[in-house]
Amino acid sequence: MNKLTDQELIDELRIRMMENKRALDELKDLNEKLKNVNRKLEESEALKSHFISNITNEIVNPFASILGLSKSILSVNKENWKKVFTMVALIHTEAFSLDFQLKNVFAAAKIEAGEVYPEIGKVDIQNLVRSVTESFRIEAHKKKVTFDLSFDFPTGEETTYCFKTDPEKLKLILSNLINNAVKFSYEEGRITIRIWTEEQVLYVSVLDNGVEITDEFKQIIFDRFKRADSSITSINRGHGLGLSIVKALLDLLGGDITFESDKEKGTIFTINIPESMEEEDSFDTSLNGNEMFFDDNQVF
Amino acid sequence: MTEPSVHFLYPSTLFASREPYIVNTILGSCVAVCFYDTVLQFGGINHYMLPFWNGQGLASPKFGNIAITKLLEKMQALGSSQKNIIAKVFGGGNIIEASAAQFMIGDRNIVVAKDMLKELQIQIISSSVGGSLGRKIQFNTATGEVKQKIIEKQQPVNGSSININQPSGIIKPLEK
Repeated sequence: MNKLTDQELIDELRIRMMENKRALDELKDLNEKLKNVNRKLEESEALKSHFISNITNEIVNPFASILGLSKSILSVNKENWKKVFTMVALIHTEAFSLDFQLKNVFAAAKIEAGEVYPEIGKVDIQNLVRSVTESFRIEAHKKKVTFDLSFDFPTGEETTYCFKTDPEKLKLILSNLINNAVKFSYEEGRITIRIWTEEQVLYVSVLDNGVEITDEFKQIIFDRFKRADSSITSINRGHGLGLSIVKALLDLLGGDITFESDKEKGTIFTINIPESMEEEDSFDTSLNGNEMFFDDNQVF
Repeated sequence: MTEPSVHFLYPSTLFASREPYIVNTILGSCVAVCFYDTVLQFGGINHYMLPFWNGQGLASPKFGNIAITKLLEKMQALGSSQKNIIAKVFGGGNIIEASAAQFMIGDRNIVVAKDMLKELQIQIISSSVGGSLGRKIQFNTATGEVKQKIIEKQQPVNGSSININQPSGIIKPLEK
């Protein structure tokens, strides 16, 4: 044992005290973070139960309307047949929103259960985007909102352009973006949808000139059950799942989403999805195309 | 015997089945926890990317704490009882070089698995974690056997970037 001088001892003690203090500070810091996370989790769980009671309205109300309206149609007199048109239009609106809500709820449930897989196919992007936009045409028409679609593909507009990705997931992503754009547009607004590709990455941007996203909401925009406008009197229905689903699905497809919101220019969401390298419907090869091959000595 | 079906496990998902399956997955800093029921002789596996769900986005099995809980729930839903489950843990390589502890995602992913399994009193009978390289693993749900292959760092040009003679120095099978 070598003996320490007093000075060395003091120095050593000082170092240890410093270390101790640093550790304590770190602990304090971590504790603070933990508290924050805990608070967020509690909040999220509370929102979840709130969501379940909310969803009753989201599902029960449209159903009640559909039932009521179809009953009225059945009892309409022949001379009042023109009334039927408006009622059928209402039924369509209710059924459309119900269908959309349910698709989202099931998608979220599947993602949270860890049961979503990309199902890759060759997708005619132009056709898919048109059909999604078309499905919102009636909703948009009610607000006198018009769509402005533009494609920019290397093959030009004439030939069909195919891109390898998951068509159903892309549909749901686009539906959510367009639904939000319609929902938050002002009357007689204009929604500009641009689709282009760059080096095997598909880009879609959806621009609306609607309500600005507040800075506060920008922070939590992808969180579940969070809505820009969650007051009871809100005219916009919704469950606050849309963008969190979009984000999770893009994660799965290796893509990403960005957004900008400005009072003058409006709000633009842009997504990018890299083309899938996978062979269609093949799961036995690895992601980079190499066959799975294993050493015999690494068995656990 | 019929050939088991093959399933490719994507990140942020999990898989469990009473039917025999070969489950393939590729791990970098991600961690996969394999559960095997020694009595009913079937298994399940997850593949998570980050240690904890912090309330952001959906509560999906992208996060370790959720992935492990959900996999256990799924095993139980398929009839398993917790005391018969054993675990194997793979992955968590620090393939992205980083110095700050906050960025050592691989390490933090491993810690979550070890801590949670300890708390759940599920024994980790073997594992291959850490290091700086990726892994391909193949899990047989009927036997609980896991085959592993270390992936060399990606070489940009050559397609076959795998060196099968990679020494297995970083593998530390745990004692029973």
